[in-house]
Amino acid sequence: MKTMEEIKAAIEAAAPGAGVEIVPNPSPSGQHSLRIAPSHAVAVATFLRDDAELALDFLSNVTGVDWLDKEVTEKVKVTSTVTKTVDDVEQDVEETVEETRKRVQPGCLEVVYHLFSSALKHGPVILRMKTMNRTDQVELPSLTPIWRSAEFQEREVFDLYGVVFKGHPDLRRLLMWDEFKDHPMRRDYVDPDDYEYEPTPHDAVLTRANAHKAAEEAKAREGTGAGL
Amino acid sequence: MAVDEGLKIELGKQGVFVTTIEELYNWGRRNSVWPMQFGLACCAIEMIATTMARYDLARFGAEVFRPSPRQADLMIISGTVTKKMAPQVVRLYNQMAEPRYVIAMGACAISGGPFKQGYNVLKGIDRYIPVDVHIPGCPPRPEALIQAFMTLQKKIDEQPLTGAGRPRHLDAEAQGEFPVPEQGAHDLEPTSNKGVWTVPVVIR
Amino acid sequence: MASNSYFSLAVLFLAALGFGLAPLVLAWLWGKAFSPAKPNAIKNSIYECGLESRGDAWMQFRSAYYLYAIIFLIFDVEAVFLLPFAVAFTGLGAAACGAMLVFVLMLIEGLAWAWAKGVLTWA
Repeated sequence: MKTMEEIKAAIEAAAPGAGVEIVPNPSPSGQHSLRIAPSHAVAVATFLRDDAELALDFLSNVTGVDWLDKEVTEKVKVTSTVTKTVDDVEQDVEETVEETRKRVQPGCLEVVYHLFSSALKHGPVILRMKTMNRTDQVELPSLTPIWRSAEFQEREVFDLYGVVFKGHPDLRRLLMWDEFKDHPMRRDYVDPDDYEYEPTPHDAVLTRANAHKAAEEAKAREGTGAGL
Repeated sequence: MAVDEGLKIELGKQGVFVTTIEELYNWGRRNSVWPMQFGLACCAIEMIATTMARYDLARFGAEVFRPSPRQADLMIISGTVTKKMAPQVVRLYNQMAEPRYVIAMGACAISGGPFKQGYNVLKGIDRYIPVDVHIPGCPPRPEALIQAFMTLQKKIDEQPLTGAGRPRHLDAEAQGEFPVPEQGAHDLEPTSNKGVWTVPVVIR
Repeated sequence: MASNSYFSLAVLFLAALGFGLAPLVLAWLWGKAFSPAKPNAIKNSIYECGLESRGDAWMQFRSAYYLYAIIFLIFDVEAVFLLPFAVAFTGLGAAACGAMLVFVLMLIEGLAWAWAKGVLTWA
């Protein structure tokens, strides 16, 4: 199979402006992936499927990733002009100071596609697409018209992560019921307070147990307060 | 009216069989419990194994798994009941003819099991329908299901035909309809049926 | 009337009918007397694997399904004929084998015709 760089070059030659970016995977598997711009996704996908050398005719897996807003702390070297008194003479001096800056990297939803070629027996080629943010601009183009096997998996990603796939033939919830609100696989999903007794709660369950206990005590206090 | 045990044995030696209607009726009932053909998750594989030749549930009179709730007496909740599936399970239970019994098979069916704290799994089917026998295990072995089945047979055998302990199908006052929960915005509504289940009190 | 030679047959027929019907009548009477009916809306609704039924049960099926069913049936019946033939195979002459081959070939011809007509293409 071609290397990631070759695939990237081939895509850029076929679909100019696709904005292909290689996302390296530092683990021993070294399965690097390609991040593509959602606006060119359908063109890129069609090329990957129809190209004779790649012939990625099988989409094995579609999955979602939820990236929360992340606070990034980074050290930046800042060069500024400072007026200083050197040897009793006032003059402007260029000074480089290392500054610690904090910035918020906005969160997004990401969809990952794993592609294989059953004809040429190679793969996987991993495609990634990012939404603009996690709240209102969560639309991505659907790749169901190119790989039919994406249909149910994109429905699942829509159901659990809330990514809206444009061009999907039948975008309904798949695993949860239709009346369900919210998307349970998102990392800020708060599930209903239905904690029940566990003999040895620990970790996340212990947190839930404490929250439930506090809520119940507050309710009990309110109840006695109303009674008095 | 019970027959004196000693007299019964003595008569039996003379070739005379004495019984009561209650005994005969319950003997017939307990040896012809037909389960519903209905599996939810991996426990269903063990349930299927139980009916096959090695374990042979047919020895206990449960050889026919009925494909319709109208003809079934026993519902084996074999596996995880998700919140999406729970209304269907309760509706099927309602559609069964009286007398009807329920065996909750496996950790998931009795309590939610490993998925208890998940957003999508019901924490035990006994919140909505009355369960007669609970079997722990993940999944329980076929022997455990047979044990549960024998427990149920014993329970049927001990039910009197009159009085407070009589089976529900002989009781005009007994509850016949168990409300099917609605699928709400975040959880099933209500989270349990009144009179069927109460929040357990933890004694520390 | 009793002299009629068919009289005993009629008695036997009625007895047989009685054997069949008596348990049903007894069970019905038992139910009537002791176990009160408790119908409700969910219980009386149409059984559809636990789901609420929607739409009409009288719907049309594609005629292509019937062709599939007929082809399946032909080969199903063929198996019924082939099995006794296979069991008795060692005791049969060459003529029997030839007759069976003609039978199978005729069915294969039908399948080839259906294939060529495009019946087996699912669309």
